[in-house]
Order: sequence, then structure tokens, then C-alpha cells
Amino acid sequence: MAGINEYIILACILFGLGVIGFLTRRNALILFMSVELMLNSINLMLVTFSASRADMGGQVMVLFIFAVAAAEVAVGLAILICLFKHMKSVDINKFDLLKW
Amino acid sequence: MDYYFLLFAIMAVGAGIFTITVRDALPSALGLLTVFIALAALYLHLNAPLIAIFQVSIYAGAILVLVVFVIMLLITPDEELESRQKNISYRTLGAILGVYLSVLLVIGIKGIDQIIVQKGLPDGFGHPSLIGTLFFKKYILHFEMASVLLLVALIAAIYLAKKKNI
Repeated sequence: MAGINEYIILACILFGLGVIGFLTRRNALILFMSVELMLNSINLMLVTFSASRADMGGQVMVLFIFAVAAAEVAVGLAILICLFKHMKSVDINKFDLLKW
Repeated sequence: MDYYFLLFAIMAVGAGIFTITVRDALPSALGLLTVFIALAALYLHLNAPLIAIFQVSIYAGAILVLVVFVIMLLITPDEELESRQKNISYRTLGAILGVYLSVLLVIGIKGIDQIIVQKGLPDGFGHPSLIGTLFFKKYILHFEMASVLLLVALIAAIYLAKKKNI
């Protein structure tokens, strides 16, 4: 079994990739997928700590994160469909109604 | 060196980079699918078989199919969508922030071995029956709250996506 540090570093790299994707892309769908990447890196970290501390609570927490991620995807994609109906685009730079 | 971990870690990082750099949304979704599968393999390595199964069935099966459906609904073929932020300051700032954050996380967690007590895993660790017992005894309130959350999200999604004049 690889040491805990390797898993933590992998989770950090995946989280960083998610942050970079979220901050640099313009397509709202890809922003969404970057958020999913970040959630998954946190899941990996929880499972790693669960194994290293021999505590099953971490794995239960991952299942709750699955539920929250499913709710987030359902609501977020519905909002995205609404936005697309109004703006005819998924380019986030065009969503500037609240900017002044 | 642990070749199992190395294989799937490289797969996850490579697919993650592909996910955030590729131009169109659909190849990006496929890269994300690869990340999910690689992480499921790593969960198996970490004594979490039930999480690995749920990772494949919920994330790769349900959530990603929903995302692909929405991609199919939203992206019109003739739409011009540049792959990155046009504003160069956003782009560089975002990249610097992301790299900085990941470096900070790695530095902050360095030496985690001293904090965490490494002990041998007890028998049957990660068995689904243990997770079930925890779910319905210790975390029963959280379980019910998660079900209410899913119900609310379901209603909200239907309300948001329907036609407005009903």
C-alpha cells in the first residue's frame, strides 16, 4: 500500500486542477465538471484518512457527499438550462446582468 | 514503489488535465469519466469496496449521464465558444491561484505522518455491513436529512426546468 502522503498529494493535485479549470474556463458546463473534480478529490482524501485512522466514519461521510453532489448536479443543471433559455448561450462572460 | 497506485494516479492526473484543457464539453465529460474510474480503482486499494462501487454507479453512471444529456441539449453545433477566458488577466490569475492553492495544501499537509497514528486495520474494515450499521444507528439523523435534501433538490430541479406558464 502506497503511503498516505502519496494519496494526499494526489488529492491536492486533483483539487488544484479543479480550481484551475473553474477559474480559467468560460464554458459553464466545464465549470460544472471542474466542481465535480474538486468534490472527488475531497472524497479521495476522506477515504485516505478513513483508512489511515481505521475509522469508518470517513467512508460514511463520502456517501453523504455523494448525495450532496447528486443534489448539486440536479439543481445546477436545471439552473443552467434556465440560463440557456434566457441567454441562448452557456458562455459565462455573457451572464453579466448584475454587473455595473 | 507501488505500481497499482502509480498507474491509477497518473491516469487520474492526466485525465484531469485533459478535462480542464480540452476545447469542447463532451470530450471534457469523457475525461472526467476517466478520473472517476481511476479514483474508484484507488478506493479499492484503500479498503473501501462499497465506495468504489458507488463511485462507478452513482458518479460515472448517473451524474455523468445527466451532464452528458445537458451537453446534448445545450450546445448547438454552430456555436462559437472559445476554449478559454478571453481576458488574459483572468486566465493568468486563475492559473496562478490554482497552482498556489495546491502548493499550499501540499505544504500544509506535509508531515501528516506525525499527526496520524498509523495502526493496523481491524478485521473486516470497509465491509459494507459495517457502513450499513453506522448509517442506520449512529448517522440515522444525517441519513434522513440527506433524503430530505434530495427530495428538495428534485422538486427544485423540476420547477426550474419546466415551462414557466403552467
